[in-house]
Amino acid sequence: MRARSDDALDALAGTWFGSRLPAHARSRLAPYLRVASYDAGAEILREGEPTRDLSIVRGGRVAIRLRVPERGPTTILTVEPGDIIGWSAIVPPHRATSTVVALLPSELLLIDGEALRAELAADPELAAPVYLSLLEALAHRLTGTRLQLLDLFTVPGAEPW
Amino acid sequence: MVTRDALMAGAREPEAGTPKAAATSPATHGSDDPAGFLPRDDFDRLFDLLRADGRTVVGPTLADGAIVYAEIAGTADLPDGQSDRQSPGAYRLEPTGRARLFDFAVGPSSWKRYTFPPRLPLTRGRRVDGQVTFRAIELDPPRLAFVGVRACDIAALLVQDRAFSRGPVPDADYVARREAAVVVAVECVSPSDTCFCTSMGTGPEVTGSFDLALTELDEGFVVRPGSDVGRYLAYRIGTRPATADEIARARRDVAGARARMGDPIPTAGLPERLLAAADSPHWAEVAERCLACTNCTLVCPTCFCTSVTQSSDLAGSEAIAGRVWDSCFTLGFARVAGGNFRPRVQDRYRQWLTHKFAGWWEQFGTSGCVGCGRCITWCPVGIDVRAELMVVAGPDGGGIETVEPLAPVNPTPRPAESRPISRVPIISRTVLVSHVRHETPDVVTLHLQTEDASLLTGRPGQFVMAALPGISAPPISISRFHHDGFELTIRAAGAATRALCSLRPGETIGVTGPLGRGWPLEAAYGRDVIVVTGGIGLAPLRPLLDVVLRERERFGAVRLLYGARTPSDRLFADELSELAGRDDLEVHSSVDRAGPEWLGRVGVVTTLLEQASWDGSRAVAFVCGPERMMEATADVLGDLGVARDRIWVTMERHMACGVGLCGHCQLGPSFVCRDGPVFSLGELGRAFGREGW
Repeated sequence: MRARSDDALDALAGTWFGSRLPAHARSRLAPYLRVASYDAGAEILREGEPTRDLSIVRGGRVAIRLRVPERGPTTILTVEPGDIIGWSAIVPPHRATSTVVALLPSELLLIDGEALRAELAADPELAAPVYLSLLEALAHRLTGTRLQLLDLFTVPGAEPW
Repeated sequence: MVTRDALMAGAREPEAGTPKAAATSPATHGSDDPAGFLPRDDFDRLFDLLRADGRTVVGPTLADGAIVYAEIAGTADLPDGQSDRQSPGAYRLEPTGRARLFDFAVGPSSWKRYTFPPRLPLTRGRRVDGQVTFRAIELDPPRLAFVGVRACDIAALLVQDRAFSRGPVPDADYVARREAAVVVAVECVSPSDTCFCTSMGTGPEVTGSFDLALTELDEGFVVRPGSDVGRYLAYRIGTRPATADEIARARRDVAGARARMGDPIPTAGLPERLLAAADSPHWAEVAERCLACTNCTLVCPTCFCTSVTQSSDLAGSEAIAGRVWDSCFTLGFARVAGGNFRPRVQDRYRQWLTHKFAGWWEQFGTSGCVGCGRCITWCPVGIDVRAELMVVAGPDGGGIETVEPLAPVNPTPRPAESRPISRVPIISRTVLVSHVRHETPDVVTLHLQTEDASLLTGRPGQFVMAALPGISAPPISISRFHHDGFELTIRAAGAATRALCSLRPGETIGVTGPLGRGWPLEAAYGRDVIVVTGGIGLAPLRPLLDVVLRERERFGAVRLLYGARTPSDRLFADELSELAGRDDLEVHSSVDRAGPEWLGRVGVVTTLLEQASWDGSRAVAFVCGPERMMEATADVLGDLGVARDRIWVTMERHMACGVGLCGHCQLGPSFVCRDGPVFSLGELGRAFGREGW
C-alpha cells in the first residue's frame, strides 16, 4: 500500500533510522515509501532470494533467522521498531542473507530497492546521509553480533569450585 | 624462671617511623635507655634466659649451603665467621676471616615462616547423614624468641601486622604468634649487593619495634632495650654500660653499611609512576625471562597470599580445611568459573610489582617492599626488581610513554568504617536447607533456614562462603532474604557448586557471611533505577529489586533489563513474567539465541538500551553479569547520560577467604571480597574491563 506523502514523511521521521536522516533526504525518499502489515508468523524475506525493499520496522517485532539443517531455524536477532531490515536491497548482490519472519503482528515501511539504488547513484547529497545511517545501523548490529559470538553467559570448561 | 607475664608485662615501644634519612645514632635511637655492652663470651646467657622462659629460640644457622632461620640452641649454632655473597640469581657462603656471628645480610628464609606458617589447619568439618558441623581447630601458638632480626625484617613484620592484625578481620593465629614472640634485633653491618633497605626507608639502622637491639663488634654486642621485656632481659643478662668508643664503632659500622648500599631506587612518587606504566610494553619483556616459579613471593618477608586446601578422610565424612602459602605467580591464582583473570606471566608479574610497590599503599598505608633483596637473589634467572622498577617506572618514565594512572594511590589506608564486617566470624555457621528449586537445567536455588541475626540482616548484593566439608567454599550471592532465612541461587559449574546444587531438603551446609559491600540503594533514592543484568547475574540483584519494589515510593522510574543465553536459561522466569505485569516498572528481557517458538527479543542485552529514549542523567544503574557484558552495558549507559559514579557493578574474582586475608581477589588496590564486590565505575577507574587485572 503506497502511503500518502505527509503520512509517510511523519512515519519515517518517527523511526530511529529515519530520524537520523536530514529532512531533505527524508523528503526525497517519501515518494518511494509503502506501508506493509504482516501477521504473526508471516515470512517477510527468505534467505537467498532477491531483496526487493529496504524496510524500516514501524511496529511489532520481526526475527532474523538462519536455517541450520538438523537444528531448524535459529533466531539470531530480533529487530524492534525503528530499526531496519533488508539492507541487502542496497548492497550487492541484493540477495537476502537471512530469513525474516514477523514474530508479532508487525508493520513495516518499505522503500523500493531498485528505485532507491537509482536515486543514491544519481545524487551524492542524498546518498551520503542514507549510507551513513545505514552504516550506523549495521555497525550496531555487527557490534551486538560480536558480543553474542562471545557466548558470555555460558561457562566454558572446568573451574576450581 | 621468668614467667611469660613477667617477660611480656611491658608493651613494646610504639611502632617506629621509617625515616629514609639515617637515624641519629644507631646506638641510642628508639630508646632513651643507655646502651649496654654484652661480651661475646656471655652471649649464651641471652639464649639461656629465653629458654628458661619456655621459649623456642629461632635464629640464623647454616643449613643446605645457606644461612636460614631455624631453631637454635645457642651461640654455637650461629654462622660464626660466615658471610653471604649475593647478586641477582646467585648466593654463596663465604668465610669472612673474622669471628663475628652476624656478618651476613639475610638468607632465603624470613620470620614470616614462624608468624605466618606455610601450612596451618583452620577448621575441622564433618558431614554425617547430610548434617554438617564445623569446628575451629584451636592452636596453642608457640612461645618463640627471634634472635638476629634485621631492620628490614622488623619492617616486614610491621607490614604483615597491618595485613593480619589491623584489618577488619584480624587473623587470630597470626596475632597470637606475634604477641607471643620476643624480637631480638641485630643491626646489619654486612649488606649484600642485592640489598636496598636504604631506598625503602627500613634500615639498616634498627629504630623501633624490637625488644632488644644488638650491634655486633668483634668483642661483643652493644645492647639497647626497646621494651620492658628488653629492659628486663638486659638486666638479667647483666650487661655493663657501653663505652663511648663501643657506641661510636657500632655507629660507624652501620653507617658504613648504609653508605655501601647507597640509594638505588628513587622512591618519591614511585606508586603513581608505576600505575601510570600499567600499559608499558616492558611487562611482556620481563615475562619472557620470568619463569613464574613463585620463588620471589616465597622468599619475600611480606607476601601474604594463601589458598585453602582440604584434606579429608577416606570415607569423606571428615575433612580439615587448611591454609597454605600461595603465590600470585601461579596460573590458577586468579582462576574463576570458566576463566582466568591473569592467564599471562606478564599479567602476574605486573600484579606482583604494582601490588608490592603501589597497591599496598592504599590497602595498608605502607609499601609492601622493605628492600631486603631476597627476591633478587633467589630469582633463578636473576630478575632484579630494582632494575625493572627503573625501566618501567623510572623518574624519567623509563623512556616509556605513560598514560593516565589507574587510580590515585592513597598514602593512608581506607577508613575502617567502610568495611563493616568485623563481626563476621571466620568459622562457618550451620544452616538448614528447607527447600530446593530447580531454576534452569544447571541452576538451583537453595532456601536456607537460620535464626542467626547477622545472616538475616545482610544487604542486597552481599554474599556468603558456602561450605561443605572437604570442598573449597565458593562465594555465593544471596538471592533473597526472608524473615527466617535466605536463598542462594547457584550454578553447577564445578565440584563445589555441583555438590551444593545436589543438596536435598533437610540437609545442612555451613555459611560464612554475609560478606562484602552490597548495592548502595540509598544512592538511588529520588532517582530513576536501571537494573541491567545477564545470566546468573540476576541472582545478586533480586534482593535489590525486592527492596526497590517494597519501598517503591522512594524511587523514580524503575527499569529491569535482563539477558540470558537461551529462553530456557532465564532465571526466575515466573517472577520476571509477574514483574512484567506490574505497571510501576518496565521489564525487558532478551536472549542471545532462540528457536522459532520464542516470541521475545533476541540479541545481546545492550540492544535493549540502544534505542532507549529516557534521560540517564537522573538514573542510577545497577549492573551484574560477565565483565565483558558489564563493560558494553556501561558504554551504552554512558551514552544515555548515566554518570560513571552512578553506574554500580559487581565484580567477580577468585576468592578463598572472603574477608580480605588470602589476597586472591585483588583488583587494582581493592580486595573484591572486602571492598566490593559492588563498586562504582568511578571507584574502579581504569581497572574496570582491563585485560590481566
